[in-house]
Parts: sequence; structure tokens; C-alpha cells
Amino acid sequence: MVAEYRMRMGDGTRRWMTKEQIRADVEDGVNNAVDCAEVPALTEDDICRIVDIMCEKGRTVSVEPGEEVILTQDGGELKLLNDSGSSSPVLEMSRTAAIQVHERALGMDTFEVAYFDPSTKMVKPVIGMEMAHCQNVMYNTIIPMLYMFMPNIGLYYQPTGPFGNPPDLMREFKIDEAMEAGENAMNMMRDDIVFIGERILSTGMDGLDFDTTASGGDLDFVGSLEAVEQIRKNYPDADIQMGMSAESVLGISGMCEYKGQLAAGLYPHQQVKLAEAAGVSTFGPVVNTNSSMSTAWNVARAVTMVKECSKQSTIPLQVNMGMGVGGTPMFETPPIDAITRADKCMIEIAHVDGL
Amino acid sequence: MDANEQMLYDAMISCKVPTVMDAVNKALDAGMSPVAIIDAMSAGMSQVGILFERGKLFLPHVLSAAAAMNKSMETLNPLLTKDAADDGQKIAVVMGTVEGDVHDIGKSITSTMLQCAGYEIHDLGRDVPLKNFVEECKNGCTMCGMSALMTTTMTGMKTVIDMLEAEGIRDKTTVLVGGAPVTQGYCDKIGADIYGESASETAAKVKAIAS
Repeated sequence: MVAEYRMRMGDGTRRWMTKEQIRADVEDGVNNAVDCAEVPALTEDDICRIVDIMCEKGRTVSVEPGEEVILTQDGGELKLLNDSGSSSPVLEMSRTAAIQVHERALGMDTFEVAYFDPSTKMVKPVIGMEMAHCQNVMYNTIIPMLYMFMPNIGLYYQPTGPFGNPPDLMREFKIDEAMEAGENAMNMMRDDIVFIGERILSTGMDGLDFDTTASGGDLDFVGSLEAVEQIRKNYPDADIQMGMSAESVLGISGMCEYKGQLAAGLYPHQQVKLAEAAGVSTFGPVVNTNSSMSTAWNVARAVTMVKECSKQSTIPLQVNMGMGVGGTPMFETPPIDAITRADKCMIEIAHVDGL
Repeated sequence: MDANEQMLYDAMISCKVPTVMDAVNKALDAGMSPVAIIDAMSAGMSQVGILFERGKLFLPHVLSAAAAMNKSMETLNPLLTKDAADDGQKIAVVMGTVEGDVHDIGKSITSTMLQCAGYEIHDLGRDVPLKNFVEECKNGCTMCGMSALMTTTMTGMKTVIDMLEAEGIRDKTTVLVGGAPVTQGYCDKIGADIYGESASETAAKVKAIAS
């Protein structure tokens, strides 16, 4: 009888697969990444390593001592406090206490402080409260503290913002109006990011973390890059992280450029070059999980894209690993067998600096 | 795919109105039926959607391809037989991001893909009160597309399905669900009909179920 190994699908469900089936999925995942992102394929050694890691018998896997990487948490303190539908702990504690738990009990190396509704547009009206919170956090913790917020250009479009929604306008073939609305929203978002970023850094926080950058496509990405460039002028030593929202930048405008480079359609190895040019200190690539494919397929695909990003990058990479990204299943509390395998592959093969 | 079908398919991927119109006229001159021409163009349009999601084409390209398709239909519609014209009657689809959720980019792109595929789209936008989906279905929409980006809001999809049941129109309504936290497993669990991993996959599944 052929041995079978426990595997996960991209939605977290269990499946038993033979080593040959796992190998076939890994090869297919690599080929898909090559096809989509136009990056080199993994080597035969890399493919064998992923298969070996997937087939390890233990429930969890780990890297060798000395090979550990920086671990951070970009969900802010919210992960302990919120009810996210079914699985969050919903603990009764203050925001500062939740951060201390991450630092002192969970072993985070750095941490991203965040407001309950962390989109730029929502943080701006409560900036005074957030500055006071950041000061309090700095008095009570030791590890580097970054302030996380999401650019989220979508909130600058109607009905939550003043400008028309470009995809909706384009569907009515109002192309010029859509382009104008997008550009106006991008400029307002950029100015708000600078407003928040500079005030937060003035409290003594170690840095900023732009989370889910480019969630609204190329305009969101370029507005964020321009904001980093402006903040960097006044805070040359701040740690500015930029975490992405998806593997490719959607071309909502299709004509939006940063330093002469079209932003739409860029994959992680190309995104990181613009991030570097803007003054980003640490880049967080994202590769989306396909919930209908196996973890072997998703991890191989993610590692292929991130390995090339790692090769091209001159700044540290802190790859996004969690619900629905980085080869991890789309599941509220990602299964520990799948996430540790994805993490190990990302560290050993893609050579990332942090998770 | 024969030479004419390939020409139409390639013309759609060029996303240029004159190129598509030229290909349509050449295909008609070569004796290709209007229905076959529309099928070949639809295949090209599906590929445009996939290329958009892969970052090889951008939203203005998708819209330009859609404009070319619409322009072609002005030429093709009068040539369709009565039966074929009746078959081409538009199916109405209500689309929206469920109550409490303001993330709408995926939903908007799916609406665009479906509109390009010939469906009549009633896009209610984002943060849509759940009863509004049901009202649209009572008023003629036979498909109900719901999107969510958050685990806290996606449960609204099940509520809408229950409301459709209570109104006695669930059997007449095809329910589509999508959005980052939504999976095929969740679609099955709440009793929806179609799960789309992406906008192009949703459009392809809708076309398959409607044909």
C-alpha cells in the first residue's frame, strides 16, 4: 500500500495525498507562479525540499536552531480583543495589556500597534487619542513598536468618501471622470497618510507599518509610495514597513506611475524595487492562496514568487503569512500543520528575513 | 478553434474597438453565423478577465473590450434569428457587498465581468442592507451576487438566503458568493449555488449555469 500524507486544501480542509501527488502539486504550483509572475522556476533541490517538508510526519515542523527569523504581528492588539466571527479569544483587557501579552507571553520580536478600524481615513479623526496611546505603549514595552494603518483608498470613494468610484464610473464608460476621481482620491489619501505618519512618529514610535497596501489597486500603491517618500524626508531613521495586500497590483487606472514605472500589474519582485526607491525599510510581499488547491500547490507557488523577490530586494523581507496568504489556508485560525510547513519553506527556500 | 474564431478571440484580447469591428465584419463576410461570432467574442472576453486578474491587462482595457463587444452587438443583433434573439434576453443580477462591509473592489470587478458577458447588472454598491438584495430578487433579478471581505460580515450571506426562503423565491434565485474569506466550503455550508474564487471564475460559472 502506498503511503499517504496528511495535507490541507487552501480552505483548510484535510486531504490525504501520496508523495507523488504532493510532488505533482508542487511542480504545478511552481509552474503557475512562473506563468503568472514571470519569475524563474524553483530548482530541483528546492522542489524536493518542499516535498520533504510537506511529508514530515510531525504535526508541526520547525527550522533548525540559529535559523529563526524575526516574528511580528500586523493584526495589532485587535487579535486578542475582537470578535472576528467565530474564533477570536475576545479577552477583557486594555489595548496596552494586549500588546504586553504579545511581547512577554507570545514572544513577538516587533509589534504593530493599531486602531480598531485601522484604515487611514478612520484613524485621522482620532489621531490625538492614537498619539497618546502610542506614548503609553512606548513607556510600557521594550521591543520595537510600529504603528500600523491601512492606506485603503476605497474609503475615499463614494459613499464613504467624496469622490466617485472609478470601477463603477468605468462601467458606465465615464473613463475621464473615473481617472479624475481616482487621482483626487489618491492625493487625499497620500496627504492623510503623511498627516498620520508624521504625528505618530513625533511620539517616539520606532516606525510605521503600511498594511494591505495596494488593496485599491495601482492608485492605492502609488499614493502610499509617495507618502513614504514625504515622511522619509522628515524622519530619515524611522523604520517604515510596507506590507502588500495581493500578489499583483490591480490596474484600476492602468496609467498610474511611480518614478516613471507603471504600477499596475507588478508582482512582488517588481513591487519591492518601487518600495526601495520610495524609502521603505522592510517589505512585506503577499502571495494569494487559492482555496481550491492544496497547501503543497499554494506553498510552492508562494515560495517561487517570494524567492525571486528576495533575490531582487536590497531591503529585508518580512513576508505576509496568515489567513489566505503565503500558501496558508484561507481559514480564520490557520491550521498549525499547514502554517508551520509554509513558514519553514519560506525561510529555508525563499530566504525571507521575517514572518 | 478555427481561423475566424481565432481572429475574433485575438481581436477581443487586443481590447481595441476598430480591431474587433473589423474582425466581426470579416467573420460575417466569411459566412460565420452571428451566434458563433458572439461565442468566439465571449471566449475572448473571458480571457480578457483572466489577463486583468493576472495584471497583464488593466481595467480600462477591460472596459474597452466591453465597449467593442457592445458596438459589435449593434451590428449582430439585427442578424440574429428570433429564437436566438430571445435566447439573448438579458438575465438580471443583483450585486453588492453585504451590510457592514465597505470593501467593494472585487464585487465591482465581478459586476463589470458579468456586464461584459451580457447580464443586466443591478449593482447596489457596498454596505448593502440585506433586505435590499431580497427586494431586487422580488422585483425580477434571478441571480443574487454577494461579496464580503470580513469573517464578521460574510454571515450576512446566509441571512439573505434564509430571507429568500422565507419569501418563497429561493428556488427561482441563483445565489453567488465570493470575497477573500469565502470558500467553496462556506458556499456549500450556507446553501449558496455558486462560489467564485475570482471575478473571471465567477463569470464563467454564471455563464455555465445559465446556458
